[in-house]
Amino acid sequence: MSDALRDQVRDFILENYLFTSDTSALGLDDSLLGRGIVDSTGMLEIIFFIEEQLGVKVKDEEMIPDNLDGVNKIVNFVSSKRQAA
Amino acid sequence: MTTLVAAIEDAARRHGAAPALSWHQATWSYADLAGAMSRVRDAIAAKVNAGDRVALLLRNSPQFAAAFYGVLGAGAAAVPLNVQERAGVLARQIEHCGARLVLADAAHVEFAALREALDGARVTLLPLELVDSANGCEAFGASLGVHPATAAPAVGAESLACIIYTSGTTGRPKGVMLSHANLLSNARIIASYLGIEPADKVMCPLPFHFSYGMSVLNSNLAAGAHIVLEDNLAFPQVVVKRLQDEGITGFAGVPATFALLLGRTQLKDFNLARLRYVTQAGGAMPRPQIQALRAALPHSRVFIMYGQTEATARLSFLPPDELDEKLGSVGLPLPGVEIEIRDPAGHVVPEAEVGELCARGPNVMMGYWDDATLTAQVVRDGWLHTGDLAHRDGEGYLYIDGREVEMIKVGAFRVSPQEIEEVLATLPGVQEVAVTGMPDALLGQAIKAVIVPREGAALDVMSVKAHCRAHLANYKIPKVVEFAAELPRTSSGKVQRYKLA
Repeated sequence: MSDALRDQVRDFILENYLFTSDTSALGLDDSLLGRGIVDSTGMLEIIFFIEEQLGVKVKDEEMIPDNLDGVNKIVNFVSSKRQAA
Repeated sequence: MTTLVAAIEDAARRHGAAPALSWHQATWSYADLAGAMSRVRDAIAAKVNAGDRVALLLRNSPQFAAAFYGVLGAGAAAVPLNVQERAGVLARQIEHCGARLVLADAAHVEFAALREALDGARVTLLPLELVDSANGCEAFGASLGVHPATAAPAVGAESLACIIYTSGTTGRPKGVMLSHANLLSNARIIASYLGIEPADKVMCPLPFHFSYGMSVLNSNLAAGAHIVLEDNLAFPQVVVKRLQDEGITGFAGVPATFALLLGRTQLKDFNLARLRYVTQAGGAMPRPQIQALRAALPHSRVFIMYGQTEATARLSFLPPDELDEKLGSVGLPLPGVEIEIRDPAGHVVPEAEVGELCARGPNVMMGYWDDATLTAQVVRDGWLHTGDLAHRDGEGYLYIDGREVEMIKVGAFRVSPQEIEEVLATLPGVQEVAVTGMPDALLGQAIKAVIVPREGAALDVMSVKAHCRAHLANYKIPKVVEFAAELPRTSSGKVQRYKLA
């Protein structure tokens, strides 16, 4: 797993939803919804980020908690999509 | 039957095993719900007198319903708080309504901060367990403690049942007072025009502290139907799959809900034949979206509806058969509700002319809590002045043309620009600030803040947003923050918010 990708995803969420650069504010396995960090609109923005910044298309049926609800989940999802591409 | 509580207790007697509410792994029957309601009543009986306010800090759950109707059954008034708010706002509302008891989710993120913010000598915070598994009802009862059984007091239909806080044009709390008669009459009419029956299974993603969500709760339980709770719409495909797999027959959403379902799911790939109807309220939905929704759900009747908290929830709806012919209309007044479109002098305007929508009927609120001045402005001679601009066509169908006051509507939530301005004004380095709505493809409007920094102040977008996040619900955090040398003003010095967008 790429550390650069992990940092990129974590920084995006920290900057856009927690408005801090303090990495201790967000655990890599924290649920973004469970902790009230994003709502449904925020999740759409994250998908937009994945598609535009990370270059991975998210299909409708891939919009599930296992792929998107946490930094590690997003990193795993993006990595596997990149490998499959 | 004169109250919703009596209607639910009656349903529990007649078909107690029938499911009332499902939440994750838990399903509460009507008997479970009625039992938990009386446990709530027993638990608070010694602490409250008739008419006392009891605040609820509980998210959508069967436990919310038990607490809400339990409080009503005790003759007290429930004040359901917005669980997305921070402790400061919650404490202000609790103090404003004079509640001395708060039934709160012990796991709520603001619980400790709220306890800190409240005067412990005056207000009791009762922590409750919200468990979403099969033993949820027992765990909830246990967290209430053991109390002697009480008899249900007689509750007058015209007495205060609940207060719902809504955003006003000022930062002051604005509490809409609704009576038992308000709640019951609106619930009955809604259940009637939607044709809700005990066999119905409706999915509700809308928060219950919000009048639309509360109307879904009240109307379905009054009719003996089954409500399935959905916590959020972050994964729309998962929601649509649930609609299919669980055989949902009714679904309630706001325009942003349907924008999500239409934009991020393939509705036609699912079998939604059992979805008898969908309802939309909470702001105007663009006409192309109404047509797209209708095309995507060929088996479902689409109800376009209109109302406001001050009218309990609903004022009008468009019969689905007339959707094509009257596209863009919010329909006709509910049975028993009169609607007039008036000019500023109070005269009814001619057909097709725009005026203020005014309404009279059993759903019009009692007034605003502890604000006789505002009440007298809004309710005059029994007529509710909604602040919405509207017109009628030749057949009496209503069309909403906008609002008179400067409110931002983010998704379905009304947000007061002033509330956000007041929070930003407390941030060091801010000399002046103005907040406005800007167009947003998904939510209709998003929030924009323009800040004039003090000379030499080191402000940046992130610190501004972080300050907002600490004091405001997430949906009230400005999406765009800009810095400017000055704000646009009229010659009299009033800030022109509309020029900021």
